[in-house]
Amino acid sequence: MAAHPQHMDVRERRWLYLLIAVFLVFNAVTLSPLVPWQKWLLWSRPTPDKTFNIEFEDYQIRLPAEGIEVKAGQYVEFVARSRDVTYGFGVFRPDGTMVFQMQVLPGMDSRIIWKFDEPGSYNVRSTEYSGPRHSEMHVENAIHVTR
Amino acid sequence: MAQPGWSEKWTLRFAVFALLFLALSGFEGLLMRTQQYDVEALRGMESVLNAIRPGDREPTQAELYFSMMSAHPIVGVYGFVYMAVMGAFYFLVPHLLGKEVRHKKLVAVNFVLQPLGVLICWGAGFFGLFNALYTLYWPLPVSYDRVPLWGSIFFCIGAAIIMVNILLFAFNLFSTVLSKSNPHSYSFWQFLRSAFGIPRLMKLFGKEDKKAPNLDYNGLPVFLVAVGRGSIDTVINAVVLLTAGALILVYGLAALFKAPLDPGAVNALVYKNWFWWGLDMVADGNVLIYTAGVWYLLVPLLVGRDLFGANVVKTVILVDLLVSMGVWSHHLLGDRSQPLAMRLLSGQFITWGEFFTMGLTIFASLMTIWLARPVKMTPPLKFVLGSVFGFVMGGTAGLIQANVGLNLVFHNTQWVIALHAHTFLLTGVGTLIFAILYALVPMLTKLEFRHKRLVDLHLWLWLVGAVLNAYAMGMAGSRGMLRRTLYEGGQFQPYVLVALVGGVLMAAGWLVFLYHLIATIGLKNVLGLFVPERWLARKQAASAPA
Repeated sequence: MAAHPQHMDVRERRWLYLLIAVFLVFNAVTLSPLVPWQKWLLWSRPTPDKTFNIEFEDYQIRLPAEGIEVKAGQYVEFVARSRDVTYGFGVFRPDGTMVFQMQVLPGMDSRIIWKFDEPGSYNVRSTEYSGPRHSEMHVENAIHVTR
Repeated sequence: MAQPGWSEKWTLRFAVFALLFLALSGFEGLLMRTQQYDVEALRGMESVLNAIRPGDREPTQAELYFSMMSAHPIVGVYGFVYMAVMGAFYFLVPHLLGKEVRHKKLVAVNFVLQPLGVLICWGAGFFGLFNALYTLYWPLPVSYDRVPLWGSIFFCIGAAIIMVNILLFAFNLFSTVLSKSNPHSYSFWQFLRSAFGIPRLMKLFGKEDKKAPNLDYNGLPVFLVAVGRGSIDTVINAVVLLTAGALILVYGLAALFKAPLDPGAVNALVYKNWFWWGLDMVADGNVLIYTAGVWYLLVPLLVGRDLFGANVVKTVILVDLLVSMGVWSHHLLGDRSQPLAMRLLSGQFITWGEFFTMGLTIFASLMTIWLARPVKMTPPLKFVLGSVFGFVMGGTAGLIQANVGLNLVFHNTQWVIALHAHTFLLTGVGTLIFAILYALVPMLTKLEFRHKRLVDLHLWLWLVGAVLNAYAMGMAGSRGMLRRTLYEGGQFQPYVLVALVGGVLMAAGWLVFLYHLIATIGLKNVLGLFVPERWLARKQAASAPA
């Protein structure tokens, strides 16, 4: 049966229902604790056990002088500040895959709370372009996670 | 070839330039991919080119790479895509309205200014080593210890020319649609009110906006509704980028006259929000709306059937325009200083509005084809289907990264730029522009593309190449490879190699199309497009019998 010219065809309406279902399922799943870090970034908002300050300036990543030692399962906060341009604070596994990252804008603190599950050494790399020498901005074995 | 008329000739001229800019942009892409594979690979070539660059200091390979990366999207988007859009719309809009372009001289102005602006930006990268990339994150473009001052000034001048030219183009389109010779004539403000659906909103509250025409049901072809609404995004984009460019230029000129201004006077987060709000009017605004409009125009024409759900899609275009106003925060999902509510609402939920608008647009287009069976698989129809595939693939990747949770591991990776952005641009928009060319060239020249096999070869080289390029780099991104980063020591080389093969296939596809186009129209006729009318008239007069 032909639909009224200004109304939705039944097939189109069914398609719209399917789109709505995909929207609901995808967003519900990705906002839920099924995505591990959503547990604390979105829902529980825990008080961190430790805070580490990281400074960015002149293509340099300055980590705390005492190093970054973390226990697996512990909530830690990273506070990054830039003294000149925009950088990125990214933590990577030894195989190069990313654990997490955030942008570091000048003139404000950028904060993130994280919980490492796996013991080991992690690398830090600037994840935002800050000028031609940006690719040099990485620190191997910057974070040590123990049991 | 039949002697093309005024508008046909201009459209063909824009098309030729668009193809040349695609070639330049593609060549840059191949060079950068080569350098991603081996940072030192271009050292020999660059040493030769350094001879024509100003200054005594030899630039580093990284400076050259990021300078090229800054020019590359300007050439691709504002050279290739915008020149193609200008050419196509300058023919289609008047053709569908049954009247002429309102300001004919502006067509020539657009044709000159667009390449001029693009080439100045390109020169700012090539000669001036401007390397702040197209995102221009504050205060990088005014950090003259990293970005050369002259490069920054010239880039902003080039960008300003482009933006002013786009405003002139949009003005001419609006003038043409709204001019008095149109049986449905109305003012710009009436048009704007209707474009944003104000009359509908008032109707919901039991009031009638008698002064505004209802764009959806007054008989305008749906393509023109899309051009009208998409051009609002185009104007906002140009105005916002002009303000950002002007700001950078003021800092540049102040530095030039030894009175440097404090970059800290501008809040980097506010600037980033403003800049992305405007920039996203292209990426998530007019690209989607124009694309929808072209599908709505081409598909019914190609299959000989009315568009499925034509009235619903007019509403979809309205929603697309409204959605485009509020999606920019998905570019700031990595910014923890951006309020969470903004990241969730604008960055994730409103961005999903595009899933609905594009989902319904694609459904309407595919249903039109399905209901018209059996359909003849003409060259433009094949490319239209290829572009639909590109938007599905690029859109899916985009929705995965436009997510508060998942963006944490996707932001600024190759996933974003390859699997999302380049799939949209190359497999989606690029393939659609080829569909338009395959449809328009026979209309404009009265000549048909002769070789079906060459069309198929072009289609598959282009599609396979684009998918290979995007998929390989997207997978590298999911393994942690960042965009805008040069990796030493062979990390991610296998992915880059596959992407490089994809790029070569696309280049081969472009060459096949170029050959086919020239074989169809004739090289003399292509070159003849650029002979000034005055010369032709003089030649005709001289050869006419006394």
